[in-house]
Amino acid sequence: MVNFEYFEPKTLEEACALLEEHGDEARVIAGGTALIIMMRQHLLNPRVVISLANIPDFDSVRFDARDGLRIGAGARHRDIELAKPVREHYPLLHETFSKVAQPRIRNMGTIGGNLCQGDPLTDPGASLITLDAEITLLHSDGKRVLPLEQFFLDYYQTDLRPGEILTEIHAPPPSPGMRWAHIKFLPRSQEDFATVGVALTLRVKGGLCEDIRLALNSVAPTIVRARKAEGILRGRRPEEHLVREMAEVAATETDPMDDNRGSAEYKRELVRVLVRRAVDQALKRSGSGEQTGRDASTRL
Amino acid sequence: MRHNISVRVNDRLYEEEVEPRLLLPYFLRENVGLTGTHVGCVIGECGACTILLDGKLVKSCLLFAAQADGKSILTVEGLGQNGSLHPVQEAFIEHYGLQCGYCTPGMVLAAYYLLSKNPDPSEAEIRVGLAGNLCMCTGYVQIVEAVKAAANRMRQA
Repeated sequence: MVNFEYFEPKTLEEACALLEEHGDEARVIAGGTALIIMMRQHLLNPRVVISLANIPDFDSVRFDARDGLRIGAGARHRDIELAKPVREHYPLLHETFSKVAQPRIRNMGTIGGNLCQGDPLTDPGASLITLDAEITLLHSDGKRVLPLEQFFLDYYQTDLRPGEILTEIHAPPPSPGMRWAHIKFLPRSQEDFATVGVALTLRVKGGLCEDIRLALNSVAPTIVRARKAEGILRGRRPEEHLVREMAEVAATETDPMDDNRGSAEYKRELVRVLVRRAVDQALKRSGSGEQTGRDASTRL
Repeated sequence: MRHNISVRVNDRLYEEEVEPRLLLPYFLRENVGLTGTHVGCVIGECGACTILLDGKLVKSCLLFAAQADGKSILTVEGLGQNGSLHPVQEAFIEHYGLQCGYCTPGMVLAAYYLLSKNPDPSEAEIRVGLAGNLCMCTGYVQIVEAVKAAANRMRQA
């Protein structure tokens, strides 16, 4: 690994100033689970590494009934999985984060690092998109707030601009009666990436499907929201033939690659099956914040 | 480009000047002299370099030594007390939970962490708890048996 200069700024302002000063030569490190591998493989050779480990309160997870959930970008997957407000009010997030890799990686990797890496194989982004999450990006000139959905541009490419640091993820208060499902299909071992990941939220009012959001990971160059597929059910009764049609459309909205987790064709077929299952699972939930049934995992 | 760090390893403080690029397992092995933390894949897959960092189970190969500044580390050498082995280590020996031994320090620490969070795990919970540690020899059966036995012993103690 090429040697570098290592900084541990104590404020975000200081971190932004360092980024500004060193430009392209600098990289930010949070958990390190992605950056260190890329540095070892010489995919990235930063001359300056700026650690966010000493930024106070950067790993906070806060909930307010009016404002919703605010997650500091330095929160580790494990912190989010186990945070009380997440378990109580965002069971979809609790379940999603409990499925990321295994506890050792969840103890290390942060949500900010995960999103900024722009890896389409990882799980959190899809679930956060179905909750209409927004992210805050800080620059020494000011900050901007962006829907997470717009952040993912291409394979490992995000809208993180030079000098910016992702500081916070915000999810609005859970809408009453929201139903949800998360399916991660793993062909091999627990800690692998998903062959296909499906996150879904929806509400049913007067028998009609409302506020539906479907996002998929591992099936395109970015994590994708399947808007056309959502449109099939929106405002209509979730009858079986429509659910089938929705799953079919979702499969056409994806652009998977052949890899060692399956062929593109196989992944498309999985999208058809898993989207149907996700709708079934979501419709079977009561619609209130209920237990996820995965409590065992949180004791590991 | 050197960086001063101060790290507590198995309750002893080490103050060293390191290159920022030095990965934590090499710091533990070469600077501290504790070779129980093994270097396997060095891409966060195999779990041979597993340690506890401020009480949390982590893969040390995905950390720079500089990131451990001010923190406390437990390695496999710190598990036993007063010259006797930890019940998890004894159970691995009794149940032949190892062959070549390369993955063993990581397995033992993963088991120790699992049992500290969940003293009475089911077999499925043990398997999930050990996920992230690869063993090429045993087929895992005896490792799972060893963790079950350790859980029993620790609950009775």
